[in-house]
Amino acid sequence: MNNAKLKRMTRKTEFYMFIVLILLCVLVQIKSSGQLITFPGIFTRLNVTVLRTMVVDGMFAMCSLVVMISGGFDLSFPAIAALAYSLSTTICLNNGWCATNPLAGFALAVAIGWVLGMLNGWIISNFKLNTMIVTLGTQTFFTGISMGLLKLKEITSTLPDGMKAFGKLYIFESADPVTGIRFTLSAMVLFLIALCAIVSFMLNKTMFGRALYAIGGNEVSAERAGYNVKKTKFLLYSAVGALAGFIGMIRVCMESQSIPKAMIGKEMTIIPAVILGGASIYGGEGTVFGTVVAVGIISLVSNSMLILGIDTYWQQFFNGLVILVGVTVSALQAKRQKQ
Amino acid sequence: MSEYLLQMTGIDKRFGGVHALDHVNFAVRPGKVMCLAGENGCGKSTLVKIISGVYTRDEGEVLFEGKPIQHITPAEATRLGIQVIYQDLSIFPNLTVMENLAINSEITANRKIVNRKRWEQTAKEALSKIGYEIDLYAKMGDLSVADKQLVAICRALLFNAKLIIMDEPTTALTKKEVDALFKTVRQLRDSGIAIMFISHKTEEIFEISDDVCIMRNGKNVYSGPTAELTKKDFTYYMTGRELEDDYFVPTNISKEPVLKVDHLTWNGKFHDVSFDLRKGEILGITGLLGSGRTELALSLFGLGKVHSGTITLNGQQVKITSPIDAQKKRIGYVPEDRLTEGLCLRQPIADNIMLSSLKQLTHALGTLKHDELFEKSNEWVKKFSIATDDAHKHASTLSGGNQQKIVLSKWLNNDLDVLILNGPTVGVDVGAKQDIHALVHDLANQGLAVIIISDDLAEVVVNCNRVIVMKDGAIVGEMTGDRITEENILNIIR
Repeated sequence: MNNAKLKRMTRKTEFYMFIVLILLCVLVQIKSSGQLITFPGIFTRLNVTVLRTMVVDGMFAMCSLVVMISGGFDLSFPAIAALAYSLSTTICLNNGWCATNPLAGFALAVAIGWVLGMLNGWIISNFKLNTMIVTLGTQTFFTGISMGLLKLKEITSTLPDGMKAFGKLYIFESADPVTGIRFTLSAMVLFLIALCAIVSFMLNKTMFGRALYAIGGNEVSAERAGYNVKKTKFLLYSAVGALAGFIGMIRVCMESQSIPKAMIGKEMTIIPAVILGGASIYGGEGTVFGTVVAVGIISLVSNSMLILGIDTYWQQFFNGLVILVGVTVSALQAKRQKQ
Repeated sequence: MSEYLLQMTGIDKRFGGVHALDHVNFAVRPGKVMCLAGENGCGKSTLVKIISGVYTRDEGEVLFEGKPIQHITPAEATRLGIQVIYQDLSIFPNLTVMENLAINSEITANRKIVNRKRWEQTAKEALSKIGYEIDLYAKMGDLSVADKQLVAICRALLFNAKLIIMDEPTTALTKKEVDALFKTVRQLRDSGIAIMFISHKTEEIFEISDDVCIMRNGKNVYSGPTAELTKKDFTYYMTGRELEDDYFVPTNISKEPVLKVDHLTWNGKFHDVSFDLRKGEILGITGLLGSGRTELALSLFGLGKVHSGTITLNGQQVKITSPIDAQKKRIGYVPEDRLTEGLCLRQPIADNIMLSSLKQLTHALGTLKHDELFEKSNEWVKKFSIATDDAHKHASTLSGGNQQKIVLSKWLNNDLDVLILNGPTVGVDVGAKQDIHALVHDLANQGLAVIIISDDLAEVVVNCNRVIVMKDGAIVGEMTGDRITEENILNIIR
């Protein structure tokens, strides 16, 4: 690695976030007297919980990341997810589908999410409106559909067996050495890893991904350079909608329950994490690595507060701090770039 | 093959009721630099957008390399070899130099997958066209304006450009950077590329161009070789008026100075600045961007800092701590960017005019006397012939010149001793420009002391009876009367 490369690396937010994550891991490891990572069997009760939390949050963060890179904000993806999974589980339950496998549920959720995402995409690309305002509107609208119009109910113990079984799949199993309670590493982690790989490839290796960066950097220039900005935005928001439906269904399977209200306010924990991971609030900046690291930090902190002897009420305090630090750093960097 | 690369005849374009281009004739020769000159709003950018395919012409013929072109689209323009370098350079500040160079041709080639090696090759090829060297992995946003411009030029050259249109490329450049840019422009010209250079700066146009086309109010009033044109003719064609008649003749200069500045210093901005100003004078302060001229004005208005030196008003030494304090001491300031700094565009004209004198228009409890406000503002509307039928309308409904009149009347409402005008006619059309100048002359002759800060040398020459030239934060020259000429000022600045 030459000097210039090192210099560029140290100027990036994700580099520092990574160091913070490592330091946090060391701190938690010491404070919890070795409960975070054990040798030789790497997995512990604590770290599988952290990874489990990261699955849904991390995948949602990918949704938010791609939109933020393009210079927009999507506040509606949790509402899309909620409407998609509540409606599709209700349909599956009423028709007796998904008794053995959850495929029908996933297909429905993705389709519903896609349609809702297309609505976002159509409004944003056609009327050239502020994305935050549009998605704030659609967010409320979608929540209204699921709560008021369709009156979707909570589904808990009656959830189709195929979904329950799918959510319980695991790739690692062990017993806690002290209490003897069994714990597993959910197979859903694989979806997070796969999604991160796909998004990373899309952002760095495809012209569509570079278009998102270009539009986020300078929309007028992107248009002049020959990108079809309207089409790109439409595709982006509809894809995010479909993805949100998929993630919602993963969550239903993992939690073995479908609760229409469960996603309310989710965007307010995801977006700060993405900003903390180095995505710019003005668009054009952000990486998958930084985002995953930031989501990791937040999951680690919220799951190890008890072990560290910190009251869980501090979680709010910590989340607020994350928003302030993340946004300030992002704004300062943008300012430096302008000069 | 015809003598011209691009030939346009009888180009006509209307936007609603506005006749933006009135049968414009225009031609560019290969291997020559052609300047498209004209004041703001004369139709220059509309013409460029027709050439680049952003707008469609209503009437007229376009010949490119002798072949008629019916319908120009942006893609078609690129295919023909027409490249526009816009004023904002169309760059992506968040991407690397390499990506900025390669992205356009990758899109044009309709590629789907990114191949770093190919991108790097494309970028290197682009840089080699003018032998320019820069770190390919540097972030575009971190470069200087001059470097960004060179990258934009290299990118344009990738498309086998035959005609490069540069839209006011020198606006944000220092003199040194302008020289470097001109060197590149000449290099391109000598390799057979036609350059269309859009500008309104007299000096630059005479320095760089072979041919010139001057536009005014949507018509082209002159086209031909630059060499056949004198600077006086040029100004005449640009403005459509003989400017000699409007030279400022002071008639009412006071004996004692109203403002005296001694060894004023704002560390890092300007230092050791001394001058005095009498009533009835119009003092010009000029210099390049970054010479400290604007900072000096800000310090006199309480917006800048004073580290040492003194300001004396009417014989009394004063400290000006804030804009409110400056107004109390009867100093007014009209900022450079009137739209963002001087006007509330979404507020009624009347409110804008009376904004800085609201205190005189309130009842005991602090509520506004609306009728009186409206009456008083109407007086100004009449006095300055501000083009509106209703002062309740928003200030944004007016043209630039009329907006500038509002800002002026806002200040003149309070009795002032000293009025500082920073770039008073930037972005103002010709007619309004003359009106504003005449108005300022009247005000001075009525006993107001005026400071005009401007880099528009013609403006300084016409309007000032005394001129101070600043460079690197210090006064480097002062001239009065007949000694004030553009050449004399330029000699000092350079």
